[in-house]
Amino acid sequence: MYKGIAASRGIGIGSICRIVEQDLSFEAKLISDTAAEKDRFQKAIDDFVEETFAMAEDVRKNIGPQEADILMGHAIMIQDPAMSGEMFNMIDAGQCAEAALTAVCDMFHGMFSAMDDEMMRQRASDIADVKVCILKKLLGIQDIEISKLPAGTVLVCKDLTPSMTSQIVKENVVGIITEIGGVTSHSAILARALEIPAVLSVPGIVDLVEDKDTAIVDGTAGDVFINPEGDVLSKYIIKREEFIKKQAELRKFIGKETLTADGDKLEIYCNIGTPKDAKKAMECDGEGVGLFRTEFLFMDNTHLPTEDEQFEAYKEALQTMEGKNVIIRTLDIGGDKDIPYMDFEKEDNPFLGFRAVRYCLANPDMYKTQLRAIVRASAFGSAKIMVPLVTNVEEVRKVKKLVEEIKADLRKEGIAFDEGIEVGCMMETAASTMIADLLAKEADFFSIGTNDLTGYTMGVDRGNAKVAYLYSAFEPAVLRSIKRIIECGKAEGIPVGMCGEAAADPLMIPLLMSFGLDEYSVNPVLVLTARCIISKWTKAEADALAEKVLAMSTQEEIVAALKAAAKE
Amino acid sequence: MVSKNIVIQDPLGMHMRPASRLAKMAAGYDSSVKVNFNGKSFDCKSVMLLMTACIKYNSEIELVCDGPDEEKALAELSEFIESGMGE
Repeated sequence: MYKGIAASRGIGIGSICRIVEQDLSFEAKLISDTAAEKDRFQKAIDDFVEETFAMAEDVRKNIGPQEADILMGHAIMIQDPAMSGEMFNMIDAGQCAEAALTAVCDMFHGMFSAMDDEMMRQRASDIADVKVCILKKLLGIQDIEISKLPAGTVLVCKDLTPSMTSQIVKENVVGIITEIGGVTSHSAILARALEIPAVLSVPGIVDLVEDKDTAIVDGTAGDVFINPEGDVLSKYIIKREEFIKKQAELRKFIGKETLTADGDKLEIYCNIGTPKDAKKAMECDGEGVGLFRTEFLFMDNTHLPTEDEQFEAYKEALQTMEGKNVIIRTLDIGGDKDIPYMDFEKEDNPFLGFRAVRYCLANPDMYKTQLRAIVRASAFGSAKIMVPLVTNVEEVRKVKKLVEEIKADLRKEGIAFDEGIEVGCMMETAASTMIADLLAKEADFFSIGTNDLTGYTMGVDRGNAKVAYLYSAFEPAVLRSIKRIIECGKAEGIPVGMCGEAAADPLMIPLLMSFGLDEYSVNPVLVLTARCIISKWTKAEADALAEKVLAMSTQEEIVAALKAAAKE
Repeated sequence: MVSKNIVIQDPLGMHMRPASRLAKMAAGYDSSVKVNFNGKSFDCKSVMLLMTACIKYNSEIELVCDGPDEEKALAELSEFIESGMGE
């Protein structure tokens, strides 16, 4: 058995197809028939350019213009006189096409890698990509067509790239195993979106297996079995059935209210990243959107999104949600993100730096564009504005003032909007925890972002493996913060929700019920799981458990107690 | 031979998109077109060479055209650069 990171739930059993990095070595021979060699090279370039254009069109439609431009750039690069022109000169001098390609690409790769400009340095990896693609053409190496894999395939590869994932046929790929990637990696997110069981970060797995080996992928536990014994296989066939049965049981909660065992009504909302995700939220029976991330508008773009572009995106989500609440978080980025047209300076410590509401308030024109788009969209549903990374009361007041200015303008212009549009705080810093009582007097609602709240409260970078053990919402410090935020919100009579991963955690849910959380915003695929868990607990049971664990002093004790009390 | 000094206005400098537009346009003239920057000379008809020049925002370049249509090339190319290279 191999252990990896459980990245996408479920059990997949199937036949392995390895996606291996191919051997691209060649013999650098001298050419006498240079005309034929140039023809061979020209054909490789033509094929590459044609395929790249087709792929770019696909990407433009399905992913975004920025990614498509990168691909188009590859075609432009190879056709440049200093690239292919120079390569043809070398072939004329008797070099083979592979050698000419390698020499010129490596030279430019070296030049770009050495530049002191990050954007230019990225061109080096583009050149490496171009080189590999054309070398494959020259050497006659075919890539495996992922879209044509047969039913029952378990995909094994070093890393799942976006171009690979876009080819996956959900019905045919039953499991994914990779050597790199974590829970929040691109490949994990895509695997979950496709609902394919996935185990990531299994060291050396590509070389440990053969094509057609039988594999069990337990994406819930993070376990992988290769050519398992009969009893293991039959055990996992049963497990797979149970998982499927459990999913079927969850379907019974479709269309039902979210009720505790006492019959108290709570709400399960969804976290979404694009207007299209709102459809998913509706399909998964979400009762609203607790977090609509707006970063996509800025990151998948070649320019600052205009008011109308933003308005259309917010309106689409609001209309899809048919009058249910949609909490829109204003731009939450900083120096860790590389957005070419937004001039973020490189910072030593971007997570403690110029980001989110700090950046937005310092760029009021840009921020007002976003706020105005949201307020205008509020005419088409129930929109709420959420401010990220709040650390003091002034920030909330300033945002509210901007919103009031926008409302006054819209009134003058005769443009419709929701007069009662609410402005709430995302509670995710230690500072916001400590002043939750003050913030509750300013804000219309709270939403606890447990991912960052855990990071900022514990002072831990979750990506740093050496300290990742401290990154847990079950640390007493984080549990107390959550409890305090909910209590302060309740004391002022404002609704409190949670939009971090903890809101869907079966161990966390009874504690949140006890603390008095109203709204649980989760990944759409977890709506029914969360509703099912809530249905099993009474308030009195949850209170008794919360009282017990709050008296405990370590994460280990708390998790053990919660596991012992869990209701499956 | 004619030449002109121009300041780059694109905040991102001479990156892929504008460089490829400029190179494509320059390739349309019979004259040779060179960009002198930082003590070196780069062939303006090659996007790769233009990018290796690593020309940043607010840098001054010298555009040099030499050949039968040099006046036209210089006028049109410098106007294109000054107008932001289509960004």
